[in-house]
Amino acid sequence: MSIPLFHVLILAGILFAMGLACTIAWRANVIMMLIGIEIMLNAVMLTLVGGSAQWGSADGQIFSLMLMALTSSEVSLALAMVVYLHRRKQSVDTDDFTSMKG
Amino acid sequence: MTTYLSLMLLIPLFGGVLNALVGRNLPRRLAESLACAAVWGSFVCAVLAALAYHGPEKVVVAQWFQAFDLALPLSLYLDPLSLSLCLMICFVCGLIHLYSVFYMAAEADYARFFALLNLFVFAMLSLVLAENLVLLYLGWEGVGFCSYLLIGFWYTEKENADAGRKAFITTRIGDTALMVALAWLFQLFGTLSITQLNGMGFLLPAGIVTALGLLMLAGAIGKSAQLPLMVWLPDAMAGPTPVSAMIHAATMVTAGVYLLARMYPLIGSSTVTTSAIAIVGGLTAFYGASCALAQRDLKRVLAFSTISQIGYMMLGVGAGAITAATFHLLVHAFFKALLFLGAGCVITAMHHEQDIFRMGGLRRTLPITFWCFLAGAACLAGLPLTGGFFSKDSILTALWMKGTALTQALYFLGLLTALITAFYSFRMVYLVFFGSNAHQQGHHEQSDVLPMELVLIPLALLGLFGGVLDLPGYLGGGFLGSFLGPLSGAHPVEASHTEELALQGVAATLALAGVFAAHVRYGGAARDNRLQESLLKPAPLVAFLLNGWYFDALYRALLIRPYQALSRVLWQQVDEGVINGGIDRLADGVGSTGSWLGRWTTGQVAVYLLSFAAGGALLLGYLAWRSL
Repeated sequence: MSIPLFHVLILAGILFAMGLACTIAWRANVIMMLIGIEIMLNAVMLTLVGGSAQWGSADGQIFSLMLMALTSSEVSLALAMVVYLHRRKQSVDTDDFTSMKG
Repeated sequence: MTTYLSLMLLIPLFGGVLNALVGRNLPRRLAESLACAAVWGSFVCAVLAALAYHGPEKVVVAQWFQAFDLALPLSLYLDPLSLSLCLMICFVCGLIHLYSVFYMAAEADYARFFALLNLFVFAMLSLVLAENLVLLYLGWEGVGFCSYLLIGFWYTEKENADAGRKAFITTRIGDTALMVALAWLFQLFGTLSITQLNGMGFLLPAGIVTALGLLMLAGAIGKSAQLPLMVWLPDAMAGPTPVSAMIHAATMVTAGVYLLARMYPLIGSSTVTTSAIAIVGGLTAFYGASCALAQRDLKRVLAFSTISQIGYMMLGVGAGAITAATFHLLVHAFFKALLFLGAGCVITAMHHEQDIFRMGGLRRTLPITFWCFLAGAACLAGLPLTGGFFSKDSILTALWMKGTALTQALYFLGLLTALITAFYSFRMVYLVFFGSNAHQQGHHEQSDVLPMELVLIPLALLGLFGGVLDLPGYLGGGFLGSFLGPLSGAHPVEASHTEELALQGVAATLALAGVFAAHVRYGGAARDNRLQESLLKPAPLVAFLLNGWYFDALYRALLIRPYQALSRVLWQQVDEGVINGGIDRLADGVGSTGSWLGRWTTGQVAVYLLSFAAGGALLLGYLAWRSL
């Protein structure tokens, strides 16, 4: 049996919205914002895989694999930066870091 | 002939350019001799051309412009008019160059001075010789430009520089009119060759001929300092005296008369134009003479008398008597240059004192200058048998013989002017040379002024005996009359010998009466009374004449003040207020908008993310709405 693309897209949409909401709302903790970003990326990958299944083409799956590699490297980099930020201000609240203020 | 004519032009040009480029590095004597040699070289060419002259001749030196239907060859035209003027210009300018060597002996900037003098001669000769109106116009502007630079020669003093600017700007009004006439002629005929244009006048409707004539008259009015554009000439006396003699008496200011005489076959057919020329000339002659009555500055007396004498020439042209006008032009060049150079000797001897009421007794200290100046004054006054008498009288005779009410009225105005002229000439002579003066300072050594005085002698002889150029009919007729005869468009009515004698008798009586009046008022013991009077505040009429009928004040009130007010409005309101203020306010607005928008960049990541998400949502929403 196969899941219709429409359902996959609905799920991906919900996931993406939740991830976005998490990223925007949970600004007191940068790690939670990173998790929100991961969820949004997963929603994207889900869409790609769903499309790949629908049209019987491997492109979407290959792209998802690449996205996984990308995500893992991104997370490792981001976590390193989080550690660094925490060392500087003893905080993970993004509102404490306003040196980019124009 | 081509060689003579082109050399006549090129030698002064070469001299001027050489002096301008390397004159500073040449030894002083060399630079001076170069300048003088250039002009005398030109004179030699003019004499050779005169000897080789057979009849009017047109010479094309080179092609200059040849594009579409505009063809402007560098062509020269030698006819009796231009030949006689060339000889006069080269001779007078040559003498004045020699004079300048001594007059400017203490001047450090001799190279600039002589370069400009030579360039002036070049421009003046090309103006006179031009066969093409554009070439004539180039010479016309060239002399104006040199005149501007030479009036302001001592430019470190503001009044001199201002006088130069005034001359340039005032003459520009007339030049513009001339330019319009040139463009119009080209549009009408497709050619600017003077000889061709003069032969085609009959093709035009009378109205256009009149309009063209009036435009050229306006050009002549500017250049020749006639009413109402004469205000620049008295101020032009700020220049060195040789410059005043050369440019503002003998040559440049008569260019207007030359232009009208040259174009007479074209414009002379319009009665309106000739009447306008005559009226302008008559009024200016009277204006200049009346102002000269009250002047205190020696050079300003001469400047106003120049204005007045050019008025006579215009009268001659207006009466159709081109020969008489040219005759007066030539003789006037001699005696007016003489008077100016004499004035230069006087001024040098008086250590740059120019007030005639503070001079006196110079007939003993400067005898040569005195006799030469007396000869010049006699010519100016038109005393019988001097050159000035014959030339002025031929103009007046022509006016009388023309016989219309207008010309006869102008004849009487001319007679009145002649009376005034005789009076002010001898007023000047009495004040400068007679009596004894308490203000006398130590004079220069005689030897300083002597070489300059020697230059006066040939001019005095030419002025006195210039009459033989064109003797009246009862003395066997004139050389100039038969020489210039073929070119003058109108053939003035010949006066019978008795009439001519009667008219000359009237003029001679008036001139003598003027001299007698001057003797009574300024000679002998009366002179001291006048000196006493001169210390008082001048009477209103005298002040009126002294200030040239307050024309300067009139123009200041009518033109300069409104223009300054307009400029001030444009400067303070429009430029600083609207343009600067507008730009400033726009910049302020952009700046404050920018800093207001800048508050968005709080530095908080969350705000950026939210804005990013909102932007994405907007884009998506737009795309979704489009695809509906």
